Amino acid sequence: MKSSLTSKTLSAGTNVRAGATRTGKDWKSLIWKQRWLLLMALPGFLIVLVFNYFPMYGVLIAFEDYSVKKGVLGSEWVGLKNFMDFFHNPMATRTIKNTVILGVYNLLWSFPIPIVLALLFNELKGRRFKKTVQTISYFPYFLSTMIVAGMLMQFCSREGLFNQILGFLGKKPILFLQEPKWFRTIFIGSGVWTGAGYGTILYLAAISNIDPNLYDVASIDGASRFQKIRHITMPALTPTITIMLIMAIGGIMGSDFQKVILLQTPQTYSISDVIGSYTYREGILGARFEYTTAIGLFQSLVGFILIVAANKVSQKVSDNSLW
Amino acid sequence: MENSKNKVKSGIGDTIFDVFNVVLMILLIIVVLYPILNVIAISLSNAEHVARADIQIFPKGFNMDAYQYILKDEQVWRGYANSILYALASAVCTLLFTSMTAYPLTRRDFIGKKFLTVFLTITMFFGGGMIPTYLLMMKMNLINNPLVIIIPGCVSAYNVFVFRTFFRNIPEELGESAKIDGANEFTILFRIILPTSKALLATFGLFAIVGMWNNWFGPMIYFKNPNLYPVQNILREYLYVIDTANLQQRAGSGVGNFNPTFIQQISPKGVRMAIVVVTMFPIMCIYPFFQKYFTKGMLVGSVKG
Repeated sequence: MKSSLTSKTLSAGTNVRAGATRTGKDWKSLIWKQRWLLLMALPGFLIVLVFNYFPMYGVLIAFEDYSVKKGVLGSEWVGLKNFMDFFHNPMATRTIKNTVILGVYNLLWSFPIPIVLALLFNELKGRRFKKTVQTISYFPYFLSTMIVAGMLMQFCSREGLFNQILGFLGKKPILFLQEPKWFRTIFIGSGVWTGAGYGTILYLAAISNIDPNLYDVASIDGASRFQKIRHITMPALTPTITIMLIMAIGGIMGSDFQKVILLQTPQTYSISDVIGSYTYREGILGARFEYTTAIGLFQSLVGFILIVAANKVSQKVSDNSLW
Repeated sequence: MENSKNKVKSGIGDTIFDVFNVVLMILLIIVVLYPILNVIAISLSNAEHVARADIQIFPKGFNMDAYQYILKDEQVWRGYANSILYALASAVCTLLFTSMTAYPLTRRDFIGKKFLTVFLTITMFFGGGMIPTYLLMMKMNLINNPLVIIIPGCVSAYNVFVFRTFFRNIPEELGESAKIDGANEFTILFRIILPTSKALLATFGLFAIVGMWNNWFGPMIYFKNPNLYPVQNILREYLYVIDTANLQQRAGSGVGNFNPTFIQQISPKGVRMAIVVVTMFPIMCIYPFFQKYFTKGMLVGSVKG
């Protein structure tokens, strides 16, 4: 075995260069020649195959009456039953509605703020001050959701920071985490706190690519600062903004359910329960695997449609698109 | 005349804007830092002040009781050790397998190039989702196995493509000459390519460390054995499971050598904030080094290869 392979290596060099049409033998020798490269890529290939592709195959159970014993192929096919079960469940309306509202509100706040912040950073004069502000504003991004949740639990409590502020304003204390109407504010507000600074990085990079001569020429023509922002900086940012917006629209359905799980209380379920948190409860805690897989598939399907649609619209309206 | 007047006018407008902008930035700094300082102050204050809600950014009735309490909880120590172990393992696996997957893709004649690129790209758009992934882990008997949080995420398409782009910018002659000397591809990768990619490795190593340090969802669903919990999940126990009564009981049984008055005077909220601080402490330590790299790292990624 080994000797036959080595004999092929000897001829490999000539074959490769000549090979416009590769015969089976050429392939074999080519594979042998690149054995180290192939071996090198093998672990990565296997990891992706097992942990990314096997679960995709596992999605099939969404159409089955799944039994762990019988496996994916052995279980009985039930068509769209699991999807119907979800849509006929009152929880469907509630979680879909909450997911969409939370997603849209989140988009309205979390998307524009980093853009405005990037423009403001860019207008700062002192280099050192600018760097300090940036460095500080990026920091919360690196705190875990668990830490942020822990801080929020303290701030939202009767003695917490938020009620200190209310007390300062002469208002009665509110138990924020127990009040459904405060859930979205807390969720989105804390999201802005963690992500807004870090979100400026891409925009600042796009700004730094602008030719400084453009600004000089505009100054000579008597353009004011705001005119320069409007006519030079913003147009240069548009491609980045468009791409980020397309991705953000695709993400409307995929709310950060891990944070939801940590921040929701039984009193706020009517507002806070989203598709992801419901899937987690029913699937992981309740072991309703095929049902929740169907919900997950529905959710990613809608997300996919949204991103494709947003991309289409963007292609029509502007020249920018994800693909 | 007209012109110069205009200039003065816009000059004033500019100054007003600059002042406004600086004030806004100072506000931003306060909004970011105040909550963190408040948490630290609460963790260092005595129970009476915590209950009275008069702590801003400086501790009142300074004491370290809360820290004494959590540092005597062996769960916290075990969680910390686990977190460090998982974070380092994750960094090593990520860097190793990502570079090993990316390097062959830089070779123009690599036969698996097209296939592997498409194979990876597909994972950027499609995935199995939470439940099928969970079932797979169950089937592979990875429940209660630390590998379940380290291996699955260590090769991501995005990272591989960033590494590929970076490796491509390394002059090819470096590898060519080694090849003539009879070195195989592994030698080229580990002796030549990786040593010239220190900035890349530092960035993504730190990203992997921070990402794994902050991971709690995976451990929550895959680890039934609390001894495997990283510190984030110990924090979760403190936030969601342990109330005042548990707190006293825990000190009574697990640790033992607290006197009853100490337990009485300790504030559960202070203890919670202390473990929040202890959990974020490594991130705060790593951040000054990290912030040099991560903007660079993000920008490497935005250069499409």
